[in-house]
Amino acid sequence: MTHPGYESQVDLLLDGELTPADARELEAHITGCAECTRLRDERLALRAAITAGVPTFQAPDTLRDRVRATLAAASAETVRTERAGAEARARPRPNRVSLGALWRPMALAASLVIVAVGSWNLALRQANHDRLAGEVLASHVRSLMPGHLTDVPSSDQHTVKPWFNGKLDYSPPVHDLAAKGYPLLGGRLDYVNGRPVAVLTYGRRQHLINVFLWPTTQGQSDAPNARDRQGYHLRHWTTPEYMYWVASDLNLAELQDFVRLLQQAD
Amino acid sequence: MLPHMDAAYTLARYWTRNEQDAEDIVQDAYLRALRYFDGYRGESEASARAWLLTIVRNTAYTARKRGRADALTTEYDDTEHSLAAVDDRPDGPQQQRDAKETLGRALDRLATEFREVIVLRELQGLSYKEISEVTGVPVGTVMSRLSRARARLQEVLRDEGGV
Repeated sequence: MTHPGYESQVDLLLDGELTPADARELEAHITGCAECTRLRDERLALRAAITAGVPTFQAPDTLRDRVRATLAAASAETVRTERAGAEARARPRPNRVSLGALWRPMALAASLVIVAVGSWNLALRQANHDRLAGEVLASHVRSLMPGHLTDVPSSDQHTVKPWFNGKLDYSPPVHDLAAKGYPLLGGRLDYVNGRPVAVLTYGRRQHLINVFLWPTTQGQSDAPNARDRQGYHLRHWTTPEYMYWVASDLNLAELQDFVRLLQQAD
Repeated sequence: MLPHMDAAYTLARYWTRNEQDAEDIVQDAYLRALRYFDGYRGESEASARAWLLTIVRNTAYTARKRGRADALTTEYDDTEHSLAAVDDRPDGPQQQRDAKETLGRALDRLATEFREVIVLRELQGLSYKEISEVTGVPVGTVMSRLSRARARLQEVLRDEGGV
């Protein structure tokens, strides 16, 4: 390995831990360095192999039931012992019966309700969004590397749309927004959320916008959601048919304009 | 309705390499989470997940240290001393003769401190900083462990003829 220093840099890049400026600088180096290119490609292959071959697990229902029962019992127990403790402490120091001592068990019970009942769906969706945002961002950064942007470079929507035939189990809507100042640059296949997805690339001056879309699973609809990571803006919304994710370093106002145009075009 | 349970279970599964132990760890961890919940100051769901995974990880760590259930893991706690990324605990003969070493099995054979960073990064998408919080080691250590674990897994891939 001739580039021991670069090896960890490549990991940082692929893990999304570099600032956009550092990422661009490193990408420039990688382009001209066979050793680093090989290293990066191996890491990408490893990541794909892990995604394909190393499973995440679903907690069995029996475990969920067990934990729920344990938490309910523990919560009841805590309330009892804390109340007893509060009373015992209250006796020698009657003036110090702190409200806190009485609130604590209630807060605990309330936290149980949050943990056990509350925001499971929301939490799941949020965690899912965090993961997806990470994948979309990684793909976006990867696409900025030379040669990774498009599989079908074309500004013609009638070339890009049919290109996906036979490569995906859906035919993504492709809109040309050149008249509005966001020319279509092409499309590519990528792998996000455990499935192949269509990515459409648009340009705005020197900035690139990647639009990821794939069919929604039944009944799934998310509130539009926005986040910024490492200098990139990510936008997410759903239509009745598709999940959309957009990633770009374009300024916020123009990106919002773009998102609006895309939503209107649909 | 329990949040982050799949993530917790997945981490526990890879930590203990055993379904039953993983379930016990998760149950203990949620109980601890309940106790510590009023000490939790995080805001986002992502940090709630990292917080919970920290508890799962510490629960597994403590369980192993205590030696509770020898079946939990056969390996010695080599976190402090190991220089090798690979846990060289000898495999059973039939295991050695079994089909080619798959990536999943290679992961199982990594020493815990290397295995956990792969699981947290690749399967759960945690940032270096979050992994550092969950595992209680500096970010620099997270990076070097990730790098060595990946190098090891890549060897396996190469041997498989994959890359």
